Amino acid sequence: MSSQRFSLGGGFYVPAVLAIITVIYLISAVQLGPPMKGGNMTASFFPMVTASIMLIALVCAMAQEVNRKKGMENGENKEQEDLTKVSKSYAGVSLGAIGVVFLTAGYLLAFDLIGYVVSTFFYVLLLTFMFGGGVKKDWIFKLVSAALITSVGYLLFEVFFQVRLPTFWSQ
Amino acid sequence: MEPIYGLLGGFAALANPETLLYMVGGFLIGTLFGAVPGLTSVLAIALLLPLTYSLDVTTALVACASIFMAGMCSGSITATTINIPGAPSSMMTAIEGYPMQKRGEGAKALGHAALGSMIGGSIGALLLMVVSPLAADVALLIRTPGKFSLIAFALIVIIISQRGSVTKGMIATLLGVMIATIGIDVVQPMVRFTFGTSVLVQGINMMPLIIGTFAISEILIQADSRSMHTVDPNKLQASKVRRRDFIPPLSEVREIGILRYLKSSLIGYSVGILPGAGGSMAAFVSYAESMRSSKHPERYGKGNPEGIAAAESANNSMCGGAFVPMLTFGIPGDPTTAIVLGVLVINGLQPGPQFMTQQLDLVAPMFASLFVSALVLVPLTLYLLGPYFLRIVSIRRDVLYSSIAVVALVGSYVATYSKFQMALSLAFGVLAYFLRKQNYPTVCLLLGFVLGPSLEEYCRRALSINDGNPLIFLTSFDSLFFIILTVVFFYFMVVRKPKNNGLGASSG
Repeated sequence: MSSQRFSLGGGFYVPAVLAIITVIYLISAVQLGPPMKGGNMTASFFPMVTASIMLIALVCAMAQEVNRKKGMENGENKEQEDLTKVSKSYAGVSLGAIGVVFLTAGYLLAFDLIGYVVSTFFYVLLLTFMFGGGVKKDWIFKLVSAALITSVGYLLFEVFFQVRLPTFWSQ
Repeated sequence: MEPIYGLLGGFAALANPETLLYMVGGFLIGTLFGAVPGLTSVLAIALLLPLTYSLDVTTALVACASIFMAGMCSGSITATTINIPGAPSSMMTAIEGYPMQKRGEGAKALGHAALGSMIGGSIGALLLMVVSPLAADVALLIRTPGKFSLIAFALIVIIISQRGSVTKGMIATLLGVMIATIGIDVVQPMVRFTFGTSVLVQGINMMPLIIGTFAISEILIQADSRSMHTVDPNKLQASKVRRRDFIPPLSEVREIGILRYLKSSLIGYSVGILPGAGGSMAAFVSYAESMRSSKHPERYGKGNPEGIAAAESANNSMCGGAFVPMLTFGIPGDPTTAIVLGVLVINGLQPGPQFMTQQLDLVAPMFASLFVSALVLVPLTLYLLGPYFLRIVSIRRDVLYSSIAVVALVGSYVATYSKFQMALSLAFGVLAYFLRKQNYPTVCLLLGFVLGPSLEEYCRRALSINDGNPLIFLTSFDSLFFIILTVVFFYFMVVRKPKNNGLGASSG
């Protein structure tokens, strides 16, 4: 909508977050000691140079994004608006991606606690719900798929490649 | 004679049933991943990486080579049939293949693509076998300052080849370099950037970075979409195809001409040697040259087999070229060879000038796999599975991506039995997701990570042997050569940009 205020998107925030990380990195590099000692480079020289170039590049990226947004505001490019219609998103991250991240983080926690078989079965089942249009649609197929994928994964890693996976009874 | 026997021994190694099984299995997996839009052969090799801990190194390399070759040619399947390139390297094939499909000549277009892939892939593999030992001899002449300048050249070319996003390429590369500095310093026995945590002392392993960047981020990207299948089944018209329809008529092959196949293969191979160029640039350059030198340039874009032959010969020949800098200098120029480098490093091997002579028995089967995949498996797969290609590209996304998630996450666990590696895979996946959403080339992130430590080490060693005087980089002949080469590439790729000839393709 034309009445919307000028707002910066991920094109600005991604380099901005990277700039914060780079500043922390640069401070840590400075704490390692002077960059040169006795005419030789020390462990801090290379990280300091890398971080400095990185900061310049990040500032350029942010400036480019601000200019691009200003151009869009002037009506040069409106196609960005259409992208928001693809799926519901928060700060440029789709609800689906947020769901997968939390689900995967939960899987990592459960993997050691309840073992491969149980955690993987539920992880796969929930992923099939997310990628396959919800709980109600083809739920029998999804249950069977989750059991099959878990079994094939077990066969592949534990039997075929002889890797010891965590088990529920070993906890 | 010894290198020739060594290379022939590589073919003999493929006679081992287990190795042969991995080559054929790898080829089929590569075909599937290359053909399905959204999946790539890089993802297939990334998923294979954790399994290489349990595999013999030769077997793993053989599988990687066949996946690489299969992924490069199978992108033409959906490019031709539904105008969606399965891989970026098949964009030029779509321009000619899809109009042929609309004329009812889709099977013939796929046949031309397979023939081009077969010729290009075979020539690329043969050139790899011939050129690698020579390149290794040249690599022996490069001293420490030259090694620094060579790596700097590779990184700069990788960055400037990111057309339209050089700044983003630079940021991604430097981010990779920064991540690589975590852990023990490359020269002195001191730790850096561990922030008091013991788990970071050993540094960041390449595997979670690869799994996160190429597998987890892909799952997150795909979570944005709401469609049920990788390709809408309604788009797939199941017209009956006979196997003999795949064989291109001899008259058309003659019209394309053996010279065009050879020229395209040489272009692809040369582009493959360049860092950061990849299959899409090989196909693009070759296609453009083919159109320029054609007797009938007006036929291009309307379903001309010449264009398919040029693009497919070049992108498959690129596979051979891409291995040269990785094996002889230890410098990977693209994600696939970076992952293959990871396979070697996992097994305690470090590519370099001596590698080809000392470890020829390990890499010769990989060369043989590349050659056999191109010469035998490409046409054989099309002939046997061609009529079913359209059915395999439409897969339920819920089954596909949940399977990939399990293989990726459990795979990153099995390497070190560490949950920390799994968490790192997720963290890098989230990072790569944000970068990809904003069109940052994640390939640069990986290559910066791989090449960063060597860049720092050679820089510091070169300066320490010259009392900190940076002039060593100008007075050393090999270093000066690479600096001049960097300037030349910078001039032609940035200052004097190549003119857009209207093809409308990006180098991707």
